[in-house]
Amino acid sequence: MQDALAEFYTAYASGSAVAVAHFLNPISPPQNPGRLYDFWRTTNEVRVGGDVQYALESRLRRHMSPNEINAWVDVISAYWRGVDKIVKAEQAENQGKLAERQAIDVYDAWKDLTSTFIKYISNGALPHWAVFTLYFTANHLRKFALKADEQMAKAKPVTFSSGFQDDIVSTTPRNEKLEEAARVFNRIFALCLGDRNPELMSSRKWGVYCIANLQFKTYFKLKTISLSKNVVKSIAAQSDLPQFHLYPASHRVTYMYYVGVISFLQEDYTMAEASLTEAWNSCYAYSSKNQELIMSYLIPCRLITEHKIPSAQLLNQFPHLRSLFGDLMDSIKKGDLSGFDKALTEGEPEFVKRRIFLTLERSRDIALRNLFRKVFLSAGYEDLKEGQTENDRIRKSRIPISHFAAALRMSTAGTGSSQVVDDDEVECLLANMIYKGHMKGYISRDHGMVVLNKKGAFPKTGV
Amino acid sequence: MPQPRNARVQVSCFTAHKQTDFFRTTHHHHPFSLLLLLLSNPLPFTCRNSPAAACSVYFDRASRRWVPRHVLPCFRSHRGVDTELQRSTCPHKPHQAVTSACSQSTSPVKPAKVDWPPAVREYVGRAFEGQNTIKGISREDVTKKLKEVIGFFAERSQLDSVTWSTYPLPQELLRDERLSKMDAAGVKPTLSGTTNTTHDNTPSKKRKSQDRDELQPQPTPGRKTNNLEDRITFAGGNEKRHKKNGLPRDTQSKFDQNDLEKRKQRFNLGTATANRPMPPWVATRNDSDSDMNTAPVVGTNQRLEKQYLRLTAPPKAETVRPQHVLEKTLQMLTRKWKEEKNYGYICNQFKSLRQDLTVQHIKNAFTVKVYELHARIALEKGDLGEYNQCQTQLKALYSQRLGGNPAEFTAYRILYFVYTCNKTDMNDLLAELTPADKTHPWIKHALDVRSSLALGNYHKFFQLYLDAPNMGSYLMDMFIERERLHALANISKAYVPTLEHVR
Repeated sequence: MQDALAEFYTAYASGSAVAVAHFLNPISPPQNPGRLYDFWRTTNEVRVGGDVQYALESRLRRHMSPNEINAWVDVISAYWRGVDKIVKAEQAENQGKLAERQAIDVYDAWKDLTSTFIKYISNGALPHWAVFTLYFTANHLRKFALKADEQMAKAKPVTFSSGFQDDIVSTTPRNEKLEEAARVFNRIFALCLGDRNPELMSSRKWGVYCIANLQFKTYFKLKTISLSKNVVKSIAAQSDLPQFHLYPASHRVTYMYYVGVISFLQEDYTMAEASLTEAWNSCYAYSSKNQELIMSYLIPCRLITEHKIPSAQLLNQFPHLRSLFGDLMDSIKKGDLSGFDKALTEGEPEFVKRRIFLTLERSRDIALRNLFRKVFLSAGYEDLKEGQTENDRIRKSRIPISHFAAALRMSTAGTGSSQVVDDDEVECLLANMIYKGHMKGYISRDHGMVVLNKKGAFPKTGV
Repeated sequence: MPQPRNARVQVSCFTAHKQTDFFRTTHHHHPFSLLLLLLSNPLPFTCRNSPAAACSVYFDRASRRWVPRHVLPCFRSHRGVDTELQRSTCPHKPHQAVTSACSQSTSPVKPAKVDWPPAVREYVGRAFEGQNTIKGISREDVTKKLKEVIGFFAERSQLDSVTWSTYPLPQELLRDERLSKMDAAGVKPTLSGTTNTTHDNTPSKKRKSQDRDELQPQPTPGRKTNNLEDRITFAGGNEKRHKKNGLPRDTQSKFDQNDLEKRKQRFNLGTATANRPMPPWVATRNDSDSDMNTAPVVGTNQRLEKQYLRLTAPPKAETVRPQHVLEKTLQMLTRKWKEEKNYGYICNQFKSLRQDLTVQHIKNAFTVKVYELHARIALEKGDLGEYNQCQTQLKALYSQRLGGNPAEFTAYRILYFVYTCNKTDMNDLLAELTPADKTHPWIKHALDVRSSLALGNYHKFFQLYLDAPNMGSYLMDMFIERERLHALANISKAYVPTLEHVR
C-alpha cells in the first residue's frame, strides 16, 4: 500500500494540485498501462479504508492535522472504489459483457469521490488548492456521465413514463447522469464562488472560472444553454472576485469564448463580438484549434455587426476555416447569390452543428448588397455639365428597377432551384435593403425607378 | 310548466352532474300512470348513472316537447317512415343518454291517464303473437322488455313519435342485447351484422349514426342500469328491495340516491370499481412504486367514453380500456368531432384516451394515430398547450418508426419555431433533418417559410402562406399578422409616398 501511495506523497509534498490530480487519475498513463490494476491489487473492498488510514497515518502524522489525514483517507478510499469499478468494467469489456450496469457503477463510484472531495473542501479539512484537484476529478465525472448515458441510451432507447404521467413517452431526460453531474458541478461552483475566506491567496474564488467552464461544457452538451446564463450572471453579480486578468489565461480564454458564444446564440452580437475578440487576443498563439473555434463564431458575428468578411490571409492561416467559410465569403464578395446559396447548402450540416447556420444565412443580405452595388457602379456617371471637371463627376443615382431585376436573375440563374424572380420580389428585396440600411434611397414605384442617395448610396462600402 | 330558458340543453357526461341541482328544481312528480308502469319496471332513469354518451336535447316548439337530438332529425324528416337511424338509435345505447338528459332536464308533458294509442296496442299485440316468438326468449322476458320500452317513451311522452308498426319487437331487442353482451365479453362485435342485414338499403349518412350506436357496448338501458344499480348501490344486500319500493312514493329520495351514485361514480372513475369491498384509500399490496413503474396495466373497461382525471394512484384495470375498445373510442370521437365540434369534450376524451394508452404501455401505430389526431384538432382550435404535448410525444414516437406522418408534423414543428422565434430549437431541429427530409414538399414548404422570413422576403412569404399544405395555415395564422406588420414597416420606409407624385 505504501508503494502505491508513494506517488501521492510526492505529489502532495510538491503542493501541486495537478500532481495530486494526476495521482487520482482514473486512466492509466500510456507509459504505465498497468497502473490502475496494480493500485487495485494493493487492497480489497473490505480492507481499503483501514489500509489507507494505516498507511497515511504512519507516514504523514507529523505533516498533517488528523482532520486532513481523515479527509485524504476518505478521498483515496473513494478513489480506490472508483478504480475498483473501472477495473471491473474493463474486465467485463474484455469478456464482451460491458453493459449499462458497469458504466453506471463507474459513474456512481466517481460521483462518490467527487462528493467526498466537496465535503472535505467545504469543511476546510483539505487545503485550498484541492479545488483544482477537484476540477480534474469533476471533469472525469463529466466523461463518465457521458459514457453512462450512452450505455443507458443503448440499453433502453425510449423509456416509458412511470406512474402518473399522462403521456406515453417519458419526459425524463435522456441524459440523466450528465444532468446529475451538472448539479454536482453547480455545487462545486457555489462552493468556489461563495468562499468567505478574506485571505485572497488561499481563497477558493480562484476556481470560479474553471468550474464555470466545466459547467458551460456540460450545459452545451445537454442543450440547456440557457442555464449557462445563470452562471454568467452570478459571476457578474459577485463583486469581490479577484481581478479578471489575474486568473490563468486558460481559464480566461475559455470563459470569454463561452460568454461570447452564449451571447452569440442569444443574438447579442455586439457583446459576442467583444467577448470573442478578447478571447482571440488572449488565446495562446500556438493552439490553433482554439483559435479556429473562436473564429468560427467571430466571423459570422462580424458579418452581422460590421458587414465585414474575413481577409483571405486569415482564412489561409487556418485551413479548416478556409474550407468552412471560403466559398461562402468569396460568393459574398462577388455578390454571387447562386454561389452563396450553394455554399450555404453544402456547409449546412457543419454550420448547423456549430449553431451558426441561421446567422450565416442572414449574410445573404450582404451578398445582395454587393450585387446591387455592382448595378449602381455599372450605371456609370452623369454627363458633365458646364463648368464641371472630372473630379466633380457624380454617379447616376436613378436606376430602373428592371436593371436590378436583371442582375438578380443573372445571379440566381444557375442555382438549379429554378426559382423565378418576379418583379414584385425584386422590389421586395430592394425595399429590404433600404429598410435594413444597406442602401440609401427610395423606390419610386410610379416610375419604376430606384432613387439612390448621391452621397454614400451604399454605406461603408466607399460609394 | 317551468322550462329551462335556453331552448337547447347540452348534456354530456361531464356536465351532467353539474347540472343536476339546476334541473332538480324544474322536476315535477311523475303522473300516476307512469309510476304504475314503472313500478314493475325499475328505473329507466337510473341509467343516467352511466352517462356514457353525450347527447343534446332540443325543445321542439312545434310539439312543445323535449326531443333528443339523435331522434329529432328522423322524426322530422321521415315521420312515419321507419329509418335505420331510429331503429338502431332507440333500442340501444342512446336510450341511456336520452333518458339521462330528459330525466334531468325537463318534466315533459305527460298523459293524464292511461290511454294507450292504438299503434302501441298493436305493437303489444304483435309482441305476443306466436309467429314472432324467438327461440330462447321467454314470455316473461318479453313482457318485461315491453314495459321497459313503452315506459321509456311514455315517460317523455314520445309515444306518438315512434312508428310502432316497424319498431323492433321486444324479443328482437332482447336478442340483439344478448348478442352485444357476448361481444362485450370479448367476442368480435357482431351487433352491426344483426342490425345491418335488415336495412342494407339505407343511405350511408344514416348508417354513420348507426355506427355510433354500435360503438356503445352497453345494451339497453334497463338492463344495464339494473346491473349498475346492483353493483353500485346495493352491494350490501336486501336494502335494495326496500329502496326500490320506496321509489315511486318518494321521488325526492330517489334523486338523492342518484346524486349519491353519481358522486360515487365520479370518484371511482368507473362503475366497476364501486363493488370493491375495500375503500380506495386502503393501500393494496400492488400500490408500491416499484410495481407501478414496471408493470403495465391491462385494461378491462369496456366503456367508450371516460372522463379525464389526472392519476394520483396506480390505475386499476377496471378503469382502463383495452386497445380494441380504444380504437372504437377513436372512431367515435372522430365522428363526434366532425359532427359537433365540441372541443372541450373532445379534448377531455382524448386526454383520457392517451392516459389509457400510457398506463397500458401501448405504443404502436394506433398510439401515433391518436396523438396525431389530437394534435390536429388542438391545432385547429389553436390550443397550443395540448398541441405541444402531442407534438413532443409524436416526436419520440416517430423516432421509433411506428408509422404515421412524420413529415407533416416535422413541417408543423418548423412553423411552430418560426412562430416562437426560437432560434436554438430551430437550430436543433435543422440539425435533425436528413437530406431526404429537406426535399419532402411539406417540410420544404416550412423551410421555405422560415428562410423567406429570415431574409425578409415577405413577397415569397405571403405566397407560401397561400399554399400551405395540410394544417400549416393554422400555424401560419398565428404569425401572419406580425409579419404583415413587419412588411408594412418595410414598405413604408422604402417607397416614396405616391400621393406626392400625384400632386
